[in-house]
Amino acid sequence: MGIYARRRLTNLLVMGLSIAATGFGLVWLILVLWTLLSEGVSALSPALFSQMTPPPGSSGGLLNAIFGSVVITLIATAIGTPTGVLAGTFLAEYSRRSRFGEVVRFINDILLSAPSIIVGLFVYVILVVPMGHFSAWAGAVALAIIVIPVVVRTTEDMLNLVPNALREAACALGAPRWRVIVTVCYRAAVQGMLTGVILAVARIAGETAPLLFTALNNQFWSTDLNAPMANLPVVIFQFAMSPYSDWQALAWGGALLITIAVLCLNIGARLLASWSTFKP
Amino acid sequence: MTVQTAGMARAEIDRARAGAIGDRVFRGLTFLFALLVLLILGGVIAALMIGAWPALHTFGLGFVATQVWNPVTQQFGALASIYGTLVTSAVAMLIGIPVAAGVAVFITEICPIWLKRPLATMIELLAAIPSIIYGIWGLFVFAPFVQQYIQPAIIATLGNLPGIGALFAGPPLGIGVLTAGFILAIMVLPFISSIMRDVFETVPPMIKESAYGLGATRAEVVWRVVLPYTRAGVIGGIMLGLGRALGETMAVTFVIGNAHHISVSILQPGTTISASLANEFTEAVGDLYRSSLIALGLILFIITFIVLAMAKFMLLRLQQRSGG
Amino acid sequence: MSLSPLATQPTVSATMAPHSAAAARPKVEIRHLDFYYGANHALKDISLLLQDKSVTAFIGPSGCGKSTLLRVLNRIYELYPGQRATGEVLVDGENILAPGLDLNLLRAKIGMVFQKPTPFPMSIRDNIAFGIRLYEKLPQSELDDRIEQALRRAALWDEVKDKLKQSGLSLSGGQQQRLCIARAIAVRPEILLLDEPASALDPISTQRIEELIDELKPDFCIAIVTHNMQQAARCSNYTAFMYLGELVEFDETETIFTHPKERRTEDYITGRFG
Repeated sequence: MGIYARRRLTNLLVMGLSIAATGFGLVWLILVLWTLLSEGVSALSPALFSQMTPPPGSSGGLLNAIFGSVVITLIATAIGTPTGVLAGTFLAEYSRRSRFGEVVRFINDILLSAPSIIVGLFVYVILVVPMGHFSAWAGAVALAIIVIPVVVRTTEDMLNLVPNALREAACALGAPRWRVIVTVCYRAAVQGMLTGVILAVARIAGETAPLLFTALNNQFWSTDLNAPMANLPVVIFQFAMSPYSDWQALAWGGALLITIAVLCLNIGARLLASWSTFKP
Repeated sequence: MTVQTAGMARAEIDRARAGAIGDRVFRGLTFLFALLVLLILGGVIAALMIGAWPALHTFGLGFVATQVWNPVTQQFGALASIYGTLVTSAVAMLIGIPVAAGVAVFITEICPIWLKRPLATMIELLAAIPSIIYGIWGLFVFAPFVQQYIQPAIIATLGNLPGIGALFAGPPLGIGVLTAGFILAIMVLPFISSIMRDVFETVPPMIKESAYGLGATRAEVVWRVVLPYTRAGVIGGIMLGLGRALGETMAVTFVIGNAHHISVSILQPGTTISASLANEFTEAVGDLYRSSLIALGLILFIITFIVLAMAKFMLLRLQQRSGG
Repeated sequence: MSLSPLATQPTVSATMAPHSAAAARPKVEIRHLDFYYGANHALKDISLLLQDKSVTAFIGPSGCGKSTLLRVLNRIYELYPGQRATGEVLVDGENILAPGLDLNLLRAKIGMVFQKPTPFPMSIRDNIAFGIRLYEKLPQSELDDRIEQALRRAALWDEVKDKLKQSGLSLSGGQQQRLCIARAIAVRPEILLLDEPASALDPISTQRIEELIDELKPDFCIAIVTHNMQQAARCSNYTAFMYLGELVEFDETETIFTHPKERRTEDYITGRFG
């Protein structure tokens, strides 16, 4: 076989393999989604949203879990977002080149990809043990620790995109530095920063491991933040591992709910990001 | 100076002073929260070490060398968990990296233009799906399927080969190290693929065009131009994926079998560090038991820290290269 | 103009006429100014004067230091570590390079307009109000009046009076630049620094800006950096020609462009280089 023919064959092979790989990967991923849809939809019913998690063997809903997830996620976002924004502001505005800034950036990236179960373990040691019991607060703190690095990253990136000319123009009018940052830079970067927050929320909405040893779970309706609180991911974990078909059905329903929420948040973030910055 | 501006001077100076104080306060505030990030990591390391100390003190370095895990006799060893973590991640990487690379190459080089954006977006959305979804899918759909069809087939063919046949021996249980590794692969592949695609797209079109202009085939451009150019970024992305796989909990907990036992065969159940933690922590009775589990967490943290630090280093090299 | 309430006004210079005509004492006096970007010696021993109520143009090839010089006047370079100036810059007799000077107050008195229009991401109204609100507490009606005044002087009022609430970014390039000029003059500075204000604009907008500069001349001390020699010849009373960080020649515009004293000036004017 001549050299050129061999090259063409290699090319065909490689291209064929990558098409096959894409097909292979997509097939499995679509299978997962398909199962999720079919099993989850059959569990969707009004009861899902109106009844509490049942004891094994009986039917019920996921209301307390949904409520708990929403509450814990909201608190985590409320704690993590300002922290992340301020830390990210420091990195972008006050320490472009300093050693301290580089260390913080590095540590932030480590935290960004750290196993979430380790975060749960950490919060267990510092909150659950001293408090003596599991609580929704602990769960929220664990999720906040996952939110912070994401928001720090996006805040820093977005603030770095604000052109220096804008900062100079505000400074040239005699505005003090903090004013420049808060009224000009934040405003210019708000779209990107918001996108980052939404993505962070999407990330923690589906996290199970950090809640396993912090918020734990609660079979009943509870609004007590100082006590274990039901939440979708841990409920799914418990119910799916169980041998009861009622529980397993509910697990699928919960899984579908989480997936829809996460996908909506992600798509929302994308739409926000591509929205024009011009608001005439 | 007009009277107006003279009168303003006092008020202005007060305002300016207030502004200077505001500057100090704001800067101090942001510094504090940046420090907090450092403290969180420091806190994690400290908390893990404190929690793990009883176990490490009792078992010493032998903790990582034995697979005995007996809550009854209070003998604990990390070997089985570490082994399971490493093997499932290895399987996930072995399957996931080629597939992810294939997808990335497809999207950047072969895909028709109208399909590019939707496909890339779809892959990114798939990377966002929570891992527990993959976990329960694995438990209810994949494991039974593997038990019924795949594993018997593997045992019958590869299991009968001399030597490596031992890797594929054993009764078909469905759950096990291979199953868990495969699910991990599916979960981690959109993530790695997105990173690879981003990195491939940093190659300046002119470099690729120069290669095409010399008559290179697409495969050759990818192999000899794109990959070498993005080598640091690809490796960085792979290591990020590895870091993810090592720390992943929910995708493997359902199907790993929770057996603190190292088997030669990858078709047998085992355990990973995160699966042990997820399965046993809330029921662990006794300080030594809990401390041993926290020690497992510490080991996992160290492993992922090293992998992530290397990934960061690699990605930094790519940034410098492309002048970003 | 005094920036430290306790400082006394320096004694009047000998050349000043008794009725203190503004034209006699220079508004800005630069004495032996050197500027460094790190180790790079960017401005070398610059000495010149800026007269009040007139326009001084700075011309020269790229990299000659004209923008750098402008940026010394409001010390905007202080935002970046590693950049420093030595020498004296006297504004109304007071050295603004002195350490301990309040920079924010300084910049409230010296306005700057940049090469590219830099509208803030807020409404047109808020853009103008931004600077005013920094140092003055005005009732709503007075604020509105100031905003209208500034926009009128910048020849922008008629075009935006119905859409003050719209974002500043929704204007065209020429309008955005006039917005920036309005924003700068709204705080009633005494000195205006214009760094190639029309270089990013189309010819018609450029002409409007030049007319604007002419209208503003009676009330401000204006320093303008420009690449466009014809613009310098049209708009300015005095011109400074710079080359490689040095001040080559500084004189009345008419003199520079008709019979320059330096060979290099003549070469630049006639287009032999740059």
